[in-house]
Amino acid sequence: MSKSKYGVADISVPSDQLEHIEMSDLFPLPPPYDKLEDQPRWQKIKEESRQNTESSLDDTLAVGIPKPKSEAEADKYVAAFLEGMRKLFTKENNWTFLQPLLLTMEHCAKCQTCSEACPVFEASGGKEIYRPTYRSEVMRRIFYKYLKPGGKFFNTLKHGDIELNWTTVARLAELSYRCTLCRRCAQTCPIGVDNGLVSHELRKLFSQELGIAAKELHEKGSVLQLKVGSSTGMNPLVVKDNMEFIDEDTSERTGMNIKTPWDKEGADVLLIHNAGEIMAWPENPGAFAVLFEAAGISWTMSSDLVGYDAINYGLWYDDVQFARVALKHVQIAKKLKVKKIIMGECGHAHKALMVVADRILTAETNIPRESSMTFLEELLNSGRIKFDPSKNDFPVTLHDPCNMVRLMGIVEPQRRILRALAPQFREMHPNGVYNYCCGGGSGFAIMSPYNFRDWRVAVSGRKKLQQILNAFKDEPPEVNKYLCAPCSNCKGQIRDIFEYYGVWEKSRINYGGLVELMVNAMVDIKGPYIEWGMH
Amino acid sequence: MTLLYALSYFTIVVSILALARRFIKIAAAPAHLRWDLYPVAHEGTKSAYGGSYFEDTDWWKEKPKQNKINQLTVMIPEILFLQGLWEHNRKIWLWSFLMHHGVYWCAGMAALSILLAFLQLLNAGSTSFTDIIYILVSVTGTIGFAAGSLGALGMLGLRFFDDKMRRYSSFAVYFNLFFLLAIFVAGLVNLFAGADIFRQTAGFFQALLGLGYIGYTPGVVVFLTLAVLFVLYLPFTHMTHFFTKYFTYHSVRWNDEPNLPGGKLEQQIGEYLQYKPTWSARHIGADGTKNWSEIAVSEVPKDVKK
Repeated sequence: MSKSKYGVADISVPSDQLEHIEMSDLFPLPPPYDKLEDQPRWQKIKEESRQNTESSLDDTLAVGIPKPKSEAEADKYVAAFLEGMRKLFTKENNWTFLQPLLLTMEHCAKCQTCSEACPVFEASGGKEIYRPTYRSEVMRRIFYKYLKPGGKFFNTLKHGDIELNWTTVARLAELSYRCTLCRRCAQTCPIGVDNGLVSHELRKLFSQELGIAAKELHEKGSVLQLKVGSSTGMNPLVVKDNMEFIDEDTSERTGMNIKTPWDKEGADVLLIHNAGEIMAWPENPGAFAVLFEAAGISWTMSSDLVGYDAINYGLWYDDVQFARVALKHVQIAKKLKVKKIIMGECGHAHKALMVVADRILTAETNIPRESSMTFLEELLNSGRIKFDPSKNDFPVTLHDPCNMVRLMGIVEPQRRILRALAPQFREMHPNGVYNYCCGGGSGFAIMSPYNFRDWRVAVSGRKKLQQILNAFKDEPPEVNKYLCAPCSNCKGQIRDIFEYYGVWEKSRINYGGLVELMVNAMVDIKGPYIEWGMH
Repeated sequence: MTLLYALSYFTIVVSILALARRFIKIAAAPAHLRWDLYPVAHEGTKSAYGGSYFEDTDWWKEKPKQNKINQLTVMIPEILFLQGLWEHNRKIWLWSFLMHHGVYWCAGMAALSILLAFLQLLNAGSTSFTDIIYILVSVTGTIGFAAGSLGALGMLGLRFFDDKMRRYSSFAVYFNLFFLLAIFVAGLVNLFAGADIFRQTAGFFQALLGLGYIGYTPGVVVFLTLAVLFVLYLPFTHMTHFFTKYFTYHSVRWNDEPNLPGGKLEQQIGEYLQYKPTWSARHIGADGTKNWSEIAVSEVPKDVKK
């Protein structure tokens, strides 16, 4: 049962803070992470930040909207919010998601079946604001009271009351960034209502109408990517320079001569990585290059602006930014005359370009797109590379990135590879399409403003850590173990969780992608490819 | 009874129009961006583990096949046994199951009663056949009243006593449950009071077809009035999920139709891309004259912070 005393309508009532989390509220982790006193403390939001930003939702801040300077300014925001909401329900402005949004707004039975499926709600000890239906119910009540015909009295009676004021708007903006959009809740809804979609649509409303979004997704994300080529800040020269370094390092580690091909017109495959890999996990693009070269694939990378970064953060908050980035990707593929685009190990990039963008691509921009999971399995089965699974004879488990698995149905190729190349592979539970999010979904993995990192590690990532630890619970702590996470954002979140709790030091669990394991098992490389340790 | 007959005709017209309007509003909405959620039941053997055609090399070379039988193996248990609730919310399953079955069986009773009325109107069907139908009306009705009463009462109890359900239950949620409970209980009371509710209900439909029927008892009139009012009210509530659920599954969760070059979908998308959005944020650059196509290939205005 929820300990929270407030209800849906209380989101409109000004107070210092609507919800507060104590460490003791969070469910206990398996040993040796179970002692409360050993767990890292949360940083508090600085007093100065509290004074300048709207921080009355909970103990953290993801967006950090500046407080309005006057009542008139607050009223302007409220009016803009309502106008944005009106636009969400018109086909001219929101043909992209109008039908599913209408279905979700009009048919929730309020049975709360979805609540237990949400890892954030569960980890928080049942804090009401994190219940998947909470923000949906706020939005639903605003929708009926302020936008639907039938009068305020009648609709309030029918759907419940809510007051739309600055407090509601400011808290909703933050609250739309307390959901990882993993859509586990939607999966359990007997009617098919999608509370994850509500978070998505709220973020969109704030971004597209009010210009409010998480900085890491917008200013430092899609805007930067469209301007300089990558949200990592790498321009084409820098990315080529970095890849050259990776090629040299990979050649040295494997004994192979690796040279990444750039802008090769007519290549069979255009490989697009999440550029974060190049910066943070160079062994991943290195491993791709090793496998592709060893198998004799005709492939290329692109040094065109945006063409070397598969990231598309618009997927999580803004349809227009999403479309701009997706179109760049396909235009580059078209220019290079490749047969297909292969998505690197990045879940959201998979879903963005292969699934969601599918219905904005017409005629010649509809370039075939394929998952690296599928492509790698085909490569394994082709027999063009010799593998020795005994080189991977250590405990391995697999994390299923939500975007690639639950939201795309790419479940088995990566498993078949692991079963073939990792003798000690075991599943975590639940897995596949019923997996738990890493806690870094929807952009959280790259968001660390104020003390948000503490929240996403301790709360939204808690369930995943529990799963990982349980998957290896029968292994001695001193044995090296490998968590295979074929997604850049998931790896970013897992890195932060592991650092926060000292998982490498206490449990010797390393994390990395799928291709690293494949290269590690290759007969023709000179030494082990996987480097054990926290990195 | 004239008033009730008038109300019934009015209800038939209004309900059909309201349901049609709702159906058209949803069905006519643009084909949205894909928002699949796996497992997708028509994925054939892959659906057992939640897989999709994206697991296949060069998946776009063949139009993905849909396994409709597989789809039925998910839909039928969901409709008949509320499989989703059984799996994810066992606590409310029994009551919800009973309540839904109350509605199903009562709907069956109404359908059979209408059949009887038509047989009467057309002077068709042997006496033994209509007797069998009448027995079926009695059986379905009795099961419906009993299951519905228990289920609606149980759901009300949950709404009152379960903290998380109470927090989110508006007046309308209770009203709907009380309404359903009232109908089911009215049916049961008539049954226990010895009123020939099924004969009278069948007679009511005969009367609506213009055959005339006068033998109502007050209790059955109450029951029929409540039932007619409920049918009138239903299209304006979330209870329309009995048909909109089709869309949440087939148009959203399971809608994995790829946009293949030259297809109908591509043509529709071409039309949507001509819409002119009016979003106000600076970075969108929507000035009311540009359409989605133009905006999607435009640069982010320079004065938007990077």
